[in-house]
Amino acid sequence: MAGRKTREMQRFSYDSGMKKQIAVVEDEPALRENYAAALSRHGYLVKTYANRMTAMQSFQVRLPDLAIIDISLEDEAEGGFDLCRDLRALSAELPIIFLTARDSELDAVSGLRLGADDFLTKDVSLPHLAARVAALFRRIDALRRPDNAAEIVRRGALSIDAEKMHTTWNGAAVTLSLTEFWIVHALARNPGHVKNRQQLMDAANVVLDDNTITSHIKRMRRKFQQVDPAFDAIQTVYGMGYRWVE
Amino acid sequence: MSIRLQLLIVALTTLVLPWAGCQYARELESTLRTSQEKSLLASAGTIANALSAQPQRVFQDATAGHAFTPAAGDLYVYPLTTQPLLDGYRDAWNVAANPTPLPSSSGYRARVQTGSTERYLYVYMEVDDTHFDPQPRDDHPQTDRFDRVDMTVLGADGAPLEYFFATDAPGLIAAQSLAKGEDGTDSVVTEPRIQAFWLQTGAGYHLEARIPLSLLGQRLWIQAIDGRGNGRAGVDAHRAPEGGRLFFATTGLDALLETFIRDGTRATVIDANALKLGSAGNLTASNKDPDETGTTWWYRYFMGVDTTDMPILPSLPDALGGDSVTAALAGRPHAQWALSGGNSELLLTAAAPILVDAQTRGAVVLQQAGDQLLALRDHALTRLFNLTLIATASAVLIMFAFATWISMRIDRLRSAADSAVGSDGKIALHMPESGSGDEIGALARGFETLLGRLNEHTQYLRTLGGKLSHELRTPLTIVRSSLDNLESEGLRDDQRRYITRAREGTQRLQSILSALGAAARVEESIKQSERVSFDLREVTASAVAAYRDGFPASRIALDLPEGPCFVRGAPDLLVQLLDKLIENAVDFCTESGIITVSLARDATSYHLQVGNDGPLIPEALVGRLFESLFEQRQGRDDRPHFGLGLYIVRLVAEFHGGTAVAANRSDGSGVNFTVTLPLI
Repeated sequence: MAGRKTREMQRFSYDSGMKKQIAVVEDEPALRENYAAALSRHGYLVKTYANRMTAMQSFQVRLPDLAIIDISLEDEAEGGFDLCRDLRALSAELPIIFLTARDSELDAVSGLRLGADDFLTKDVSLPHLAARVAALFRRIDALRRPDNAAEIVRRGALSIDAEKMHTTWNGAAVTLSLTEFWIVHALARNPGHVKNRQQLMDAANVVLDDNTITSHIKRMRRKFQQVDPAFDAIQTVYGMGYRWVE
Repeated sequence: MSIRLQLLIVALTTLVLPWAGCQYARELESTLRTSQEKSLLASAGTIANALSAQPQRVFQDATAGHAFTPAAGDLYVYPLTTQPLLDGYRDAWNVAANPTPLPSSSGYRARVQTGSTERYLYVYMEVDDTHFDPQPRDDHPQTDRFDRVDMTVLGADGAPLEYFFATDAPGLIAAQSLAKGEDGTDSVVTEPRIQAFWLQTGAGYHLEARIPLSLLGQRLWIQAIDGRGNGRAGVDAHRAPEGGRLFFATTGLDALLETFIRDGTRATVIDANALKLGSAGNLTASNKDPDETGTTWWYRYFMGVDTTDMPILPSLPDALGGDSVTAALAGRPHAQWALSGGNSELLLTAAAPILVDAQTRGAVVLQQAGDQLLALRDHALTRLFNLTLIATASAVLIMFAFATWISMRIDRLRSAADSAVGSDGKIALHMPESGSGDEIGALARGFETLLGRLNEHTQYLRTLGGKLSHELRTPLTIVRSSLDNLESEGLRDDQRRYITRAREGTQRLQSILSALGAAARVEESIKQSERVSFDLREVTASAVAAYRDGFPASRIALDLPEGPCFVRGAPDLLVQLLDKLIENAVDFCTESGIITVSLARDATSYHLQVGNDGPLIPEALVGRLFESLFEQRQGRDDRPHFGLGLYIVRLVAEFHGGTAVAANRSDGSGVNFTVTLPLI
């Protein structure tokens, strides 16, 4: 994993002074323009595409630094998923955010399994979106720098690199989406303290309903269990929320 | 009126079958009667013709053309079948008739009966004379000083012979006659050929006399004379020389008739005076059908022959009467149904005149018992009646069973239709009976189609919220992201105010949309939930502890059973269920009220109950509370209520194989929501 990342780094060598390019693939013109305007205001170079074809043509010429993709694109109900798969084939490291009016659990699972870094519903506000974009870039930047021990939170077998937004369990990397990372981070920073769902949503800069939080937690547990089947550090406190136990 | 009853009544109309059978039988009977009449009349005619060819074997020349006049002392001589013993009684005569009273001008009464065998004429007398005056023992008695019976016979040579019967002591005596002696005095001469028996009784005396037919001509006068001069009864030969005729039955006629008749028929030949000349046969058929006796009273009641307007035949031993006889003697053949005078039996009488030289000399009367016909009819009718009754009974039974079956099917369909839309809003798509090919099956299929459409519609309504929320989300996002952008442009304060209002509006819109879509999301997340075994008691306790923190203003009472309560399912969902019930309870509980949470266990299930003091649920809504987006109750806050909470409760309960029920407390103090979950 690490080796592949290094290779990708070389391909996307850019200096910090250079404007980062974001591709917005969204078939709704008004929404597309609003996202573009907001992201431009935050200093990004935004390219917009209305459908999978035009986006893919452009990506084959030059990859953006980050892609925000709607799932249903014009007449392709799952065009975003296809695009994500194709893009991942071009680059394993490129941050991809799904932004969709759909909020079904299944979509979120599919999107994340295809390698998206985050899955947001369109309820997310523009400042929140900008924050996430910034966080993803920060994660990529941090990966390029040597480890900064000060930023690392260690809780037993868990170590969280807040800078790189990278998580390991017993030294093995656990691939978490941005939302999941922030949830783990919020829980692990104060072990034993119960975080209710609202607190977790605030930490992750998302508006989610209870069930989505529950399924995020479930998915995170599963990811940890993939590296350690005995993992049970995230505990449900019924009626209240969740807590990290060491 | 139930179908069963209706069909039963319809089935009862098959009772018309026995009725029609009865009508038919009556017609049959009437036809049979007519044909029997005709046939009997034809027989009578035939016999009459045969007899008219040999009048000498039928009629007595002596009485030909003379009217039978009892007042003139005419006597009918009964044919006697046996030789009676002279004993003063006529028991051995076998004659059904009583002796005929003799004409009397005084109060002196006497009765007489005559009978004959081949050789003798028998005369029997009863005389009412309480005082016995014996005959003195002398040769020259004063003939008017003792009781005596005078008998004058017209001798075979035409000369009258006068005899008298008298005795000094009862017993066997001989007739006496007075002979004028040469001295001019009467002397008594005994005639030993004429025997008699004198029997003294309490009321008088009986005299039974026997006269050889050889002594006898065609007339006989008889009178009883009281020895004390109290009077006499009878006919004097001198006063009525034309009277005293003896009307004999014809010898040999019985045997002759015997050759004509069939069993069960009685043939009687009468002369012009309707007196019997001879008869043969009897009315009772020898080969009676034993089955006939099996008819029951009710059957007789319904089917008996109406005899009320039938004439009653006079029952005379010596003569025949009735319309037929009258008509026949007037020269017309005639048949008639009548009742016999003696025992009220139904008789068919047919009479035909016997014409000799174009003169009606007499008639042949044939009689048949109606019973014979009745027996025939009864037999047929009883069979018919029984068969139709059995047919009716089975028709009624079959119809009743059929109606029961039909109404059972309809009932099943009805109850299925009643419960097709369950209290939880679920629609049962399958109807009973839909497999059958008849109208009920078609009805059931019609119901299924209807329910199918209803279900589609319900599904559409159920998913409408989700779809709407999805479709509206994009335009809402456009509005919101535009507001976001607008805000970043740097606004004046007054502009910012409007922006803030617009944002509040979009937030409200968003929460509404979110609620609309929540049902679908919940359903989906429930679908993906994993089942584990967990302790419901522990989860409830932990959740309630959290609620006490979360809702410090509310008082929450908790009642848990001893020991762990293991349930298989998703604890997260169950907590969500509790969340919703508690939220609901908090919303509706009165300020001072208590929210009660209790968990109980019985043989088959756990009962998780959340109750609150507060307004009751209107009865009509109790079943609908758990439907999606249903909200009727007004809570204490102004938050929009989309009724998803209780819908989620229902979904979660069903996910765990249980049910959720809302009910008002019986004392009206509040509402209880009960979730029943199966034990594992």
